[in-house]
Amino acid sequence: MMLSVIYAILFYAATLLLIVGVGRKIAIYARTPAPLKIPTTPAPITKAGVVWRMTKEVTVFQSLFKSNKWTWLFGWVFHVALALVLLRHLRYFQEPVWTVVALIQPFGKYAAFAMLAGLAGLWARRFLVDRVRYITNLSDHLMLALLVAIGISGLGIKFVSHTDIVSLKAFVQGLMYFDLQPLPSDGFLLVHLTLVLILMVVFPISKLLHVPGLFFMPTRNQVDNPREVRHTAGWTAE
Amino acid sequence: MKESRHTRQGFWAAALIFALFSLPVMAGAPVPDIPEAVKGDQCVEETGFMRKNHMELLLHQRDETMHRGIRTKKHSLKNCFTCHVVKDAGGQPVTVKSPKHFCRECHDYAAVQIDCFQCHTSVPGGHKTTGEKL
Ligand code: HEM
Ligand code: HEM
Repeated sequence: MMLSVIYAILFYAATLLLIVGVGRKIAIYARTPAPLKIPTTPAPITKAGVVWRMTKEVTVFQSLFKSNKWTWLFGWVFHVALALVLLRHLRYFQEPVWTVVALIQPFGKYAAFAMLAGLAGLWARRFLVDRVRYITNLSDHLMLALLVAIGISGLGIKFVSHTDIVSLKAFVQGLMYFDLQPLPSDGFLLVHLTLVLILMVVFPISKLLHVPGLFFMPTRNQVDNPREVRHTAGWTAE
Repeated sequence: MKESRHTRQGFWAAALIFALFSLPVMAGAPVPDIPEAVKGDQCVEETGFMRKNHMELLLHQRDETMHRGIRTKKHSLKNCFTCHVVKDAGGQPVTVKSPKHFCRECHDYAAVQIDCFQCHTSVPGGHKTTGEKL
């Protein structure tokens, strides 16, 4: 029970840091003015067009596709697989479980392999491509290492040494209802959860901020209407 | 002035998070009500082991029986149902069509589909039933 209490406290703390941290960053991004009209052309000339452009950026990584096919391939495979994996994880947080979440369960587990393959490709690039290696920081390696380790420990639970999934879900539900339930103490699971805690804590202070940050890119989120509407923000408004 | 705006935002953020978290406190956490075995005080393996690994045993049993022709009783699906049965109001064992069925109690909770019962019976007694889809 000691273990359950420790992990419960850690999860509450990490969740708070994640929500407050990312919320604060979003508030800062939203307040930061973009004084110049700089949509990368050809750019949409209507709001709806911008929404469509952003949708393509988020779902198929359009700009990355145009700039580098290999990075796009590995990056996109990694992100799509990650999305599937996270969707599969929703079953721990819902009762009853949504039908879509139940239906993708069998695919979600293979997505883990795709996710690791994508990460391996992205990581290899940071060693093998000179220009990328030159701009790679330690934190770039650590982020990739963290995600690879989360993936491997997850696969460990799935394929090497099982945990009691029903008890684990009860523990997660217990956190959500403030009704503490015992956490199974299996090696792979504890490693997996510890790494996830680290991910939650570093999220608001790392490159993972590209998730909210993406929506604030002036080159992608501006309407191409400099003649129709005078653009003012920050010092151009003074 | 800037300072006070930050404080106010911080307050609302905290209040919102608190409200979100306290919403579900109304009831206890939903946990499955795992039915007691009807007889015996020891499963074919230790309970903790069964909770984590019953699927491996069943799949191994299937491979042994179907591919190698070795039919044993200990880890057979039929043997599970000699103890793990849930009875309805009339005292009859419920089939897998009922959410109260022994397997479904947890499988629904964990969102894990099982296809055993498309061919196999889900009640003790060994009578032939097919098509008991979840
Ligand atoms: C809205 C969702 C997301 C979008 C649209 C998105 C998009 C992108 C894009 C465009 C890149 C740039 C690839 C490059 O130019 O090298 C990238 C990199 C990356 N993303 Fe995301 N991302 C999303 C969510 C996430 C999440 C949830 C995580 C992890 C928890 C994540 C982890 C990473 C990592 C680690 C990299 C760097 C890969 C490397 O080191 O080469 N992303 N993302
Ligand atoms: C509180 C959060 C989390 C919990 C409770 C959790 C729990 C689990 C469990 C129990 C498994 C084994 C599933 C099985 O045996 O069927 C698993 C697998 C896995 N987890 Fe997590 N996990 C969490 C967060 C994450 C995050 C944030 C990621 C990715 C960044 C992740 C990536 C994986 C992967 C790749 C697998 C293997 C594939 C699969 O079974 O879906 N997990 N996780």
